[in-house]
Amino acid sequence: MTDLVKITVDGREIEVPAGELVIKAAQDHGTYIPRFCWHPRMKEVGMCRMCLVEIETPRGTILTTSCTTPASAGMVVHTASETTKKAQAGILEFLLINHPLDCPVCDKGGECPLQDQTMAYGPGESRFVEEKRHFEKPIPISDLVFLDRERCILCARCTRFADEIAGDPLIEFKDRGNHTQVQTFPDLPFSSYFSGNTVQICPVGALTASAYRFKARPWDLRRVESSCSHCTVGCSIAVEASRNDVLRFNGVDNDATNQGWLSDKCRFGFEFIGSENRLRTPLIKVDGEFQETTWADALDLVAERLGSIIEEHGGEAVGGIGGARSTNEDAYAFGKFMRTVVGSNHLDAQLDDGLDARFLAGVSPRAKIGDLDHAAAILLWAPDLKEESGSLYLRVRHAVQEGGAKLVVIHPRRTGLDDRATHKLTYRPGQGFGLLADLAGGEGDYAAVLETLSHGPVVAIVGRTGLTEAPELAEAVAGFALGLPDATVLPFARRSNVFGALDMGVAPSLLPGRVAADDAEAMAQLEAVWGPIPTHEARDTLGILEGLAVGDLKALILLGADPVRDVPDATVARRGIEAAEFVVAIDLFLTDTNQLADVVLPAEAFGEKEGTVTNLEGRVQKVNRIVTGPGQSQADWAILDDISRRLSKPLAFASAEAICKEIADVAPAYAGMTWELLEWDEKEGAVVPYGEAVQPLIHHPAAADRKALEAMSRQPSSGAFALHLARTLYDDGVLMRNSLSLHALAPGAAVHLHPEDAGRLGVTEGALVEVKSVDASIRLPAVLDSSLLTGVVYVPFNQPWTPSLGAALSVVVAAGKEVSA
Amino acid sequence: MSLWPADVQERAKELIGRYPDPKSAVMPLLYLAMRQDGYLTEAGMGEVAGWTGHTPAQVQSVATFYGMFKTEPLGQYLVSVCTSISCMLLGGDDVLEAVEEATGVPHGETDAERLFSVEHVECLGACGGAPAVQVNYELIEGSTPDQARALCRWLQDERPEVVNTDDMQERFGGRRSFDWAIAESENAVGPYPAFGPYGTTPGGEV
Repeated sequence: MTDLVKITVDGREIEVPAGELVIKAAQDHGTYIPRFCWHPRMKEVGMCRMCLVEIETPRGTILTTSCTTPASAGMVVHTASETTKKAQAGILEFLLINHPLDCPVCDKGGECPLQDQTMAYGPGESRFVEEKRHFEKPIPISDLVFLDRERCILCARCTRFADEIAGDPLIEFKDRGNHTQVQTFPDLPFSSYFSGNTVQICPVGALTASAYRFKARPWDLRRVESSCSHCTVGCSIAVEASRNDVLRFNGVDNDATNQGWLSDKCRFGFEFIGSENRLRTPLIKVDGEFQETTWADALDLVAERLGSIIEEHGGEAVGGIGGARSTNEDAYAFGKFMRTVVGSNHLDAQLDDGLDARFLAGVSPRAKIGDLDHAAAILLWAPDLKEESGSLYLRVRHAVQEGGAKLVVIHPRRTGLDDRATHKLTYRPGQGFGLLADLAGGEGDYAAVLETLSHGPVVAIVGRTGLTEAPELAEAVAGFALGLPDATVLPFARRSNVFGALDMGVAPSLLPGRVAADDAEAMAQLEAVWGPIPTHEARDTLGILEGLAVGDLKALILLGADPVRDVPDATVARRGIEAAEFVVAIDLFLTDTNQLADVVLPAEAFGEKEGTVTNLEGRVQKVNRIVTGPGQSQADWAILDDISRRLSKPLAFASAEAICKEIADVAPAYAGMTWELLEWDEKEGAVVPYGEAVQPLIHHPAAADRKALEAMSRQPSSGAFALHLARTLYDDGVLMRNSLSLHALAPGAAVHLHPEDAGRLGVTEGALVEVKSVDASIRLPAVLDSSLLTGVVYVPFNQPWTPSLGAALSVVVAAGKEVSA
Repeated sequence: MSLWPADVQERAKELIGRYPDPKSAVMPLLYLAMRQDGYLTEAGMGEVAGWTGHTPAQVQSVATFYGMFKTEPLGQYLVSVCTSISCMLLGGDDVLEAVEEATGVPHGETDAERLFSVEHVECLGACGGAPAVQVNYELIEGSTPDQARALCRWLQDERPEVVNTDDMQERFGGRRSFDWAIAESENAVGPYPAFGPYGTTPGGEV
């Protein structure tokens, strides 16, 4: 706890932490001091001089910048004295010397700090009659951001953000004095994954986003706060819409999660909502072609086909995949629908690309994102956060840079955080177990790494580094990590609300509220509300797809899931779905998967529905509606409810909010979790189990000994390479495909290999390489990547126009020419 | 992969070794890059970025901030005329005009044959010997328009490979301030300051 000191601001005595900057201390007590360059999440620079205040000193009052002056006991500050006002007006007159005042054609007009503060503090007129400086306007500095140098007031917010926060200092001041401008290096664009943040923090209209330019005036926008759906952090965002079109996402400063920042995927990944490719009416397949139909006919057909399959083969002949892109309410409805209406336990929200559901839902002790700020050491054995979860990446970066945490990164290749890591260990996919045994042993080179991790508190971010990685590795890593001092684990999985869906029991091994499916007592309590729940052995996604392929299962219900693109082994997915007698998909778009379905039902998307979502730390937050869904689209829960009525087992849900109340009643870890709580009391979201609630499933991953670990280790077959298959921020997922600004940014298919291997194979950068797995053989351009170990190739997963390679560890790699010869 | 010849790379390593953080060596390396290409090319700045661990944008930011880092090709002789207050009061502007006239090059520009670049500069620290002129950063004090014209003619006719303060002061200078410049002079071989470690003095050894 910092000491409090008393300072006087405009005659009012306030108590503030010693050393707090005057600008912040005053604001926290209701006195706003105007500013351009100062930003609460970045270091102070005192560049714009707008925050001048008078401070009394023994040698008289001085005029100084409140953003660089720490509060000290007895300090007397005047923020609105005549001298201060004159100074502020003078600064504004200077700042406006070169500003073009083209507000009527500027996106920022109406929400512009320069405009607002000129109105509030400015002189009203300028004595500057000379020529203003001129630049070409605007110039693109990346695919997503335009720069108008005439409007720039040189506050350096954008350049400081790029360097301090994002770690991508690709924009900087160029030239000096009156010629100073923000610039990139020629032909080296500001291609940061976080470039959009500069648009948001720019206090003038110098930086504008290509996706929003000239789309709306701020006063025409309606705004609602929500929780982003692109990864499992659940960043707080403002969704802004005009005329029923979502036009913009902005970051909202939630101290617990994103602290105001968003990755570009999250910021510009709204375009899919208004895409013309959205499904608008139910579709049924007639003679191999989809035909538009009415809800009544489509639902009748679904009920009839599902009903007859259930009657003939029992509920366990039906599988359900999905729910990870839905709200908790929708996922709960899906689980209840599958277990009680269909009578099947075959349901899974993960697509064979995640981790054990009990680990993700029940791992304990579980870290919060905010714990990173106070960690002495962070162990990151997970996907490359820069590619999979931008705001978590920024949090870890910040924790190391500012909080002084020591970072250990373990990954098969380079990651975005390597430059901040105290130790970086690289390994071959399949051999993580051996590395873990060595690390736990702490011999030789590993002694220093283990020493770094032996000072608590330790936060371990644990996930599946790549899709060929055995999911058991994460469990073993967590087991090891929890043996470290004062350790907590933050389990990492990627797909938006996957943690919420698992918490709602959309997994073979789980029931709602973090309850194990084999917990007889909890099961009995749930049956008291739900009615009987089937007891048969449950299948996960892979089991369902395999069961469909061999005829053990007959029908499949897809809820916002695209297994053909997302299950690592696309062949298994395709085979299963093609073999199914009946497939019904509830989705936003026609996807590679539901093209194969018999019925496709249009669902409401993010921004079109209300509900709650749960992030990777278990934080429940509200998502809100701002536009109506296109055409006849409906909420997932409502569609499931309609089908249930036709199957004569009505779920009888009244509304999403009513479902949330039901969840609070039947799901132990979610007791007390209501919309009112999130809307009024816990605006940063509330971590479950909240208050009096308990979590029945407590999962302690066990530490494995060397022998057990080495037994799990896998080698590629002789002569083959080990495949590292990992996701990139932008890919060919269906939401990205329909967000046009982003889809083009996918890095594209390639095979990365170590220069030595490339030399041995006679492959040069860019040459075509044949990569052969059990299922497929594809040709990809080579990228030389010395961050890999020899004997390993890295292929980015799910890139546009690229067939799946499957997810087997071994691939045979050869120069393209040799194969064709 | 470096674009620089082996000996320059050695020199870069030596310069970087003088600092606790390679990033601190950005300015010395910019001189090295300038010596390689005659001015700071994009490739040269990229090279410095590679050696120091800055991004090219950051290197460009440093390079464009300081007047003595040139991002345009220069002539063999860079003639800098001081027009700050002391020199201005004692005729610096007339000297500049004379230099422009004699070389045919307006300030801020370089002639087509790349013989002369002319610039007016801020204080050279030679107020005691105003007005001051530099050729390739070698100082001449107490200049007059006539002497400046003669200086330019001499450069044009003789094309000396190396210029030296002592020599030029004797031929084209007037009243000097004091002797420090002479003792420090290292003889410049191009339009860069004569610094041994950057190879811009005859011999150019470290």
